[in-house]
Amino acid sequence: MTTGVMTAAPALRAAPSHGRNTYDPAAVRGDFPILSRTIYNKPLRFLDNGASAQKPQSVLDAVQNSYAREYANVHRGAHFLSGAATEAYEGVREKVAGLLNAPAPENIVFTKNVTEAINLVACSWAGAHLSAGDEIVITQMEHHANIVPWQLLRDRKGIVLRVAPVEDDGRFDLEKFAALLTDRTKLVSVTHVSNVLGTVVPVAEVTRLARAAGACVLIDGAQGVVHQPVDVQVIGCDFYAFTGHKLYGPTGIGVLYGTAERLAETPPWQGGGDMIESVSFEKTVYADPPLRFEAGTPPFVQAIGLGAAIDYVQALGMEAIGAHEHALCNHAMEALRAVPGVRPIGEAPNKAAIVSFVVDGLHSMDVGAILDRQGIAVRVGHHCAQPLMARMGIESTVRASMALYNTTEEIDALAAGIRHAQKLLA
Amino acid sequence: MDLTAYEDYAETLEALDDEMRFEYLLDIAKKKRGEPFPEEAMDDAHLMHGCMSRVWIVHDISEDRHYFRGHSDAAIVKGLVTMMTDSFSGLTTAELAQITLDHVRRLNLGALTTQRQVGMMAMLKHLQKLAGARPGFQAA
Ligand SMILES: Cc1ncc(COP(=O)(O)O)c(C=O)c1O
Repeated sequence: MTTGVMTAAPALRAAPSHGRNTYDPAAVRGDFPILSRTIYNKPLRFLDNGASAQKPQSVLDAVQNSYAREYANVHRGAHFLSGAATEAYEGVREKVAGLLNAPAPENIVFTKNVTEAINLVACSWAGAHLSAGDEIVITQMEHHANIVPWQLLRDRKGIVLRVAPVEDDGRFDLEKFAALLTDRTKLVSVTHVSNVLGTVVPVAEVTRLARAAGACVLIDGAQGVVHQPVDVQVIGCDFYAFTGHKLYGPTGIGVLYGTAERLAETPPWQGGGDMIESVSFEKTVYADPPLRFEAGTPPFVQAIGLGAAIDYVQALGMEAIGAHEHALCNHAMEALRAVPGVRPIGEAPNKAAIVSFVVDGLHSMDVGAILDRQGIAVRVGHHCAQPLMARMGIESTVRASMALYNTTEEIDALAAGIRHAQKLLA
Repeated sequence: MDLTAYEDYAETLEALDDEMRFEYLLDIAKKKRGEPFPEEAMDDAHLMHGCMSRVWIVHDISEDRHYFRGHSDAAIVKGLVTMMTDSFSGLTTAELAQITLDHVRRLNLGALTTQRQVGMMAMLKHLQKLAGARPGFQAA
């Protein structure tokens, strides 16, 4: 899929700097410049990947190369550089389609993040196809990005929002979910992986049940696509959204996958250049998907960075990344359970490498601040999931979210850091 | 104006390195100085809004001078609140109105993140509002 135009650029180091069959975190770390820096004179231990992951050199190079050597507006100029930028941008659409096993690049719409992707579906597709009394099912563990757009739609159109429960240990109960489906259910919008609990939602079963009830399915894959291989055709969903910055890519680029059928029936969202076929004051003809949904100059440099990130994770292998992170997650759960007074929040059997916990008698903010002084970056707070916090009867958690470059040594440092916090704050 | 408590804190902090400043802050939080914060004041009416942790402030006036007591459910924030309320209690309304970001900066000294400096400024404004020392602002 790379063309003569593309290969005119200097060869970029797309592949990780080590062999494919031996997963060596130490070698992988060498690909990420930021991981060698220190914080307060301590080595950085970055465990806040659920918020945003760090970028490998190949992504930084791709962005730099795009600005330095191939920069011109896409889809417009009749000149070499515009052609090169357009090919690179459209090439990323193919890469994303490959990552998700989408049938074609035309199934891939670029957005600025997953939040925008969900809002696009809420405003345009759901706005056109749902009416008062129709129902949307979400879950108790959604990120605010998969709650508020539906509430806005509820306020605008009088749709009904139903919420599938989550169990005390963070498990998702399929039967309880199925019980919420009615003949008015038009859409099921669920997260693939909870950003707080790490729970992996059985999205293929969810989709099967939703389909049987005649509903469409949107999956918030912000945390899903980073921890495991994703195949949208096996899942069978109508929409799948993710965000580039959590997948080792730049900020400012997100993805909405939609089936050809859904995208075709989705009216334009924002109007402007690039999304039209022809414009006159009497009549404007809109472009076909995906360009119909990409009004204005898109974040094509960021998309090119995302393309490099996809090359990077695919060279390592999503299976291998998932296996490495699974081992880290088990190690983390064990290490945390061994610290008296630490209570993990989210112990579902099928869990991605996201570990939330509370420490008896300590405020999460204090734990986070003391870990920070040791160079350990975690997130504290409600993680944009306040309804889930309310469900779990807590106000906040400390969250360690792992990535392909984390090590068991870092997890041990986290556990030691928590003990240190307990000592300091006793 | 009498800023003895403030000067004490500032001079102590200036003599410490970053790591020790952090521990000093925790010590302040843990030290039971003065009366304990009244349990019944840990309510919505005394809550300072807009913080990640909860912060409660009680304001009293005696002989035209303002006295504050503060509390938080997070220890580090409790340390910051205590430092602020100790530092700026006993001032008149006019004196309190003269306290600025520069005063707060001296208590911050890079030991803390910028985020916390923003938090401390918010605390100062809250104290000034409670005391009516910010013209045009009413305590929420
Ligand atoms: C599950 C989930 N959904 C949505 C989002 C929102 O992502 P973004 O801010 O990139 O739109 C996040 C991350 O913050 C997330 O974890």
